[in-house]
Parts: sequence; C-alpha cells; structure tokens
Amino acid sequence: MNEDLIMVVEDSDEDVEAIGRAIGRSHPDTRVEFVRSGAEVLPRLTADGAIRPGMVLLDLNMPGESGLDVLRRLRAHPDLAGLTVVVFTSSEDPAESDACYAAGADSYIYKPINFALFQTVLRQTLDYWRSRA
Amino acid sequence: MGGWAEALHRLWRAMGGIGDREDLAELVLPPLQELPGVVAVWGLRHRVSDGAVAEYRWTGVPLESEPDRAVARRLAVWRDGDAVVVDTAGETLARHGAARVIVAGFEVPGEAAGTFLLVVDAEADVGRLSGCLWQVIDVTREAISRLRRRRADDDQQIRDALLAEASLQMDAVLDPGQTMHRVARMTVPAIAEGCLVYSREGAGLVLRSAVHVDMRRLAGLLADEAAASGLRALAERAVSGDGERSEPGDAEKVGARLLHAQVLRARDRVLGVLLFFFDRAESRLPHATFLRDLAQRAALAVDNSEMYERRRREVVTLQEHLLPGRLPSVPGISVAAAYAVGDRALDVGGDFYDLAVRANGVVAALIGDVCGRGAAAAALTGMSRHTLGTLLQEGVSPARALSRLNSGLRRDGSWRFVTAGVALLRETKAGLSVQWTSAGHPAPLVVRRDGRTVPGRGGGLALGIIDEARLGRSRLLLAPGDTLLMFTDGLTESRDRAGRMFEDVALHETARRLRDLPVDEMVRELSQAAKDFGTTGADDIAVLAIRAGVEQR
Repeated sequence: MNEDLIMVVEDSDEDVEAIGRAIGRSHPDTRVEFVRSGAEVLPRLTADGAIRPGMVLLDLNMPGESGLDVLRRLRAHPDLAGLTVVVFTSSEDPAESDACYAAGADSYIYKPINFALFQTVLRQTLDYWRSRA
Repeated sequence: MGGWAEALHRLWRAMGGIGDREDLAELVLPPLQELPGVVAVWGLRHRVSDGAVAEYRWTGVPLESEPDRAVARRLAVWRDGDAVVVDTAGETLARHGAARVIVAGFEVPGEAAGTFLLVVDAEADVGRLSGCLWQVIDVTREAISRLRRRRADDDQQIRDALLAEASLQMDAVLDPGQTMHRVARMTVPAIAEGCLVYSREGAGLVLRSAVHVDMRRLAGLLADEAAASGLRALAERAVSGDGERSEPGDAEKVGARLLHAQVLRARDRVLGVLLFFFDRAESRLPHATFLRDLAQRAALAVDNSEMYERRRREVVTLQEHLLPGRLPSVPGISVAAAYAVGDRALDVGGDFYDLAVRANGVVAALIGDVCGRGAAAAALTGMSRHTLGTLLQEGVSPARALSRLNSGLRRDGSWRFVTAGVALLRETKAGLSVQWTSAGHPAPLVVRRDGRTVPGRGGGLALGIIDEARLGRSRLLLAPGDTLLMFTDGLTESRDRAGRMFEDVALHETARRLRDLPVDEMVRELSQAAKDFGTTGADDIAVLAIRAGVEQR
C-alpha cells in the first residue's frame, strides 16, 4: 500500500479539477490518481502488481456503477476490506449516508460549494486518516 | 562572507514562498550548515502551552538519538535573548566532533517558539556564527509572522464560507431533526473531527445527531454506555454554565484531544447543545467566538423549524376539524373520501365535503371549494359545509340549499366565492338515481363497472358572485358496481410540465384502472395519481366516491 497515493473516483470534470487543485495545494507530496467511472475501480485495484492507494475518495452519483455499488463490491473483496474509503458527496439525504455506512464506508463527507471550504474539508479528511494509518 | 550575504539574500527571497511552518526548517537550516566550523544545525519547536519540545529538525548530525535529544532539550533557550555559547566538554556531543554549541531562541506571539542549536567544532568563529544565526532567526521570525497572517486570512475566508453554507443548508429544511443533522454534517471535518447535537427535551438532553470523520469510531463510543453518559453530562454542564471547553480528562476518556460544548440558545430558550470533538493540532482549532457564532445561527435555524412544525401541526388539526371525522354508513351504497393537502401546507385549504342522510333514506353528498386559503377561507369553509349539510339533512332541496348559502354570502358582503356541487341519491327501480346540482363546480364522473366512464355536466355559477344563484342541473344513473366520483379542481387542474391538465390526459384512464379497488383505496389512489401527475402540487385535492351496492371485503 502506498500512503502517498490517493485514488479519486469521480466522473465530473469540475470536481476532478477542484479535487486535484485542493490536494495539490494542501498535500503537494501526495499523488492523486483519478478513475472516471465506478466500473474501472475494482479491476484497477485487483490487477496483478497493482499499487494499493492509502485512501479511495468516492463520488456517489455517477452514471453506470454508482458509488454505493463500488463500495459494496470493494467491501465484498477480501483483499480490499481494510482499504480506507471516504464518500465525498453533495447529497443531503440521511438515508444515503446510512446506506454508505452500512456498506462499509469509513467516512461520509459533505462536498462544499466554496473552494476554500472544499480544500479545508479535503485537507482535514486526509490528515485525519493519515494520522490513523 | 560574500557567500553568506548571497545566501542570506536568497533566504529572504525564498521565505515568501513558504506555505507551511513544516517547510521552514528545510529553508533556514542548510545555509547555516554551509558556514565554516558548523558540525550540525538543530532546530527545536516548542509547544505553545508549556514550552516542551514538540518537534525536532536538523542538518548535519541527525537529531534522532534520545541522548542527543536530551542534550538539545537541556540546552534549549526558547525565549528571545542573547545567544548562549555552551562548551560541550563532558557532553555526548563531543563524539560528533563538537566543541561548543551556540544556542539562541526566539518567540512570535501566539505561535510556537523555537530554539536553534549550532553545533560547532573547535576552529569555529563563534562570534561571527552567532551573528549569522541571529540573521537567520530574523528571517525565521518574519516567515512565521507572515504564515500567521496568511493563515488568519485563510481561516477567516473559511469561517465566512462555512457560516454562509451552513446558513444556506440549515435554512433549506424545515424539519427540526434534519436541521440538527445538517449542522453536524456541515461542521465535520471542516472545523471539527466530530459533532454531536443534543436537543433539550423536558429537563434533559437527548442525542439527535452524531457525525464524525470516523463514524465507526464514534458508533463504538456511543455504544459504550459510560462514554455516552459522560458526553451527555459534559453537554449538561455547558447548559448549567460550567464552561465550554472540556477538562483534559474528559477528552482523553473518549480518545479525543479536546471536546468543546456550545449551548444552542434562541429567544432566551435553551434548545440543546453542540458538542465538538477535536483531534487536530492546536493551531488548527477554531476560535471559541466562531463556534459561538455558528451555534447561534444553528439555534435560530432549529428554532424556526420547530416553530414551523408547531404551526404545521395546528394547520393539520384545523383542516381535520373542517372535514367530517367519519362519513356515515348508508345501506346499499359504499362511500369514501380523501383529502390531500397542497404544498402550501402552512395555510388551511378551502375544500370541503360531507354526506347527509335524510330520515327517508335519501342521501345528499356535497362537495365544495372556497377560493383562497388561510384563516378567513377556513371560517367560510366551515360555515359552508355546515350550512349545506344541515339544510340538506333537513330535507331542503339542493337548489334551495345552495341558494340560501349564496344569499348568506351576499348578505355578509364576502368577496370570496364558493363552488359547490350536491348529488342527491335515491334508490329507484332502474338503479341509484343521481340528481346533480352544481354551482360552478367541476362535473362529477361516473365509472361504470365495465370500465366505461361517463362525465356528468357541471354548469352554474360559483356562489357569492351574484344575488340570484345560477345553478346547473343534470341526472345520472348508477347500476350496481358503478362509482360516482366527485372532486375539487385540485384534482382536475393538476398540471404536468407541458401544462396539460390531469382531467384532459389521465383522469378517465386512471379512474378506469382503479375501478375494481374498494372505494377507500380508489379515492386514495386517485388523489395520489393526480398529485404525482402535477409538478407543483400547490392546490388541495378532495375526492368523494359513492359506489352503488355494498362491497364485499
């Protein structure tokens, strides 16, 4: 596992740009790998010789395989049970956060609109999980 | 020293690009290391609270072994003052080739102080090195001050953004439980690692929402009865005014660095408590005044949503009182009604219905709609239903009952008008005869047992507009299993995105599809279908159904 690598599963171009910019500023030594659809996640993580990221940042609302589907598949895989998965979403539906925790999410984090706040939220999330690694 | 002047100049220029104090040592220690006679440059960072050494940095000899660190701690001078030169004879540093250590400390108000230790050999020019060290300390102090100012600006920007987004989020919901949950969601992890929201109920506090970056950790904590009651006790202490920050022991018990309780207070009333969990470094803790500001906004949002909820319940109660609690059961027919409240749920709607059974077995079913909403419309709704119901019950004809109501409205000078329809039902040899009398009300619909739909005729003019009531009359006949549907315009005029009305596009088909259901289910499903069809759902919907023949259930 590489603690300095973060996998971001996100289909929105705007959010990809914002996440890359935010982590680049707060954690310049961290490598961010973007995966643009849910279906690509498991093959990427389970490929022979694949480098395991220290954390997966997961969007929920994606076309095709949703973030929740990805989460369930990750947790069903014996080798990926210990992977830190942070759901990063603008959804405010309490039922969705319950479903994510039930499926094995480590964090369910609100995605702010304001970029300064967006950056703070990501920085604190990364700092927290790194301090627990 | 030409080289040093250049190095110092580079240092001043590079200092502006530092974004974090963590990166400072890499900038300021190497130039000193390059000076003649320097064996190692060690930097210590001290805790704000008690001055103990929190961080070790170095160039040259690594400051990793405990004996070296113990010497560094002993020599540390973490206050402004002259540089101190210490002979290392007898110290473990001699094994690194060190003869002396030049020690100088510095302070920046509100920030962690620092100590520089210049470990030098016997040939080193101590006087010159001390001068160079002070020059580097000047750069360091300025860099820390700039970082502090930049962080203060950033923090202010983040606090403003958080308060703005929190207000937006909290104002977007009118349910007290959801408002409390959103408070907790917005603050984690932007300002705290965790947040519990307690609401005051009676004399005690009840946990209403719990959010943490690490929910499994929090869930484990809350499942531990001792820890959970300890947290509640901390929140209760805050209500009784015993400080906001927790005692160190309280936080340790729950594995946090610090806990901070903020009372939710609005209009001189304690609504609950926010309890924040902090694991982050001291420098990243939000200021207490900001937490108070956030709690104040949250309290107002919670108070508003509680007031809305109370008002909504009052409206629902009033609405229920305007309609019959239970429709009478009538031999030979099955009756059911449904009422769906529109979106503007804080105003009482004006739809009404009732069923009057005369002593001779004739049944009068009435339905109506007072224009507008609110208290005045509610009063008129109650009056209209009771007037019509009483007159029809006493055997007054529908035309005369509607005319009497019209006269009453005209006499009172009411500017509101009322649409109403009365179905007078009589058993005949041919079936159940329906005499429909309408005052500007939507026409009823008969759904035959075989699925055919037969619209009635509306007609007439709404009551309260002109002195002489103008009424429409028509007749229908129900065979066993046929259903008469009476409704208000909330059902017929429900519109989809294209502006098409439910009556024109879906009423007949839906009624046909639902005809085999028991009447109570039929009215419920029909009003729901109209609600689902519409995009605004602004108007109330009342449906009254009468089916010829008793249902076998």
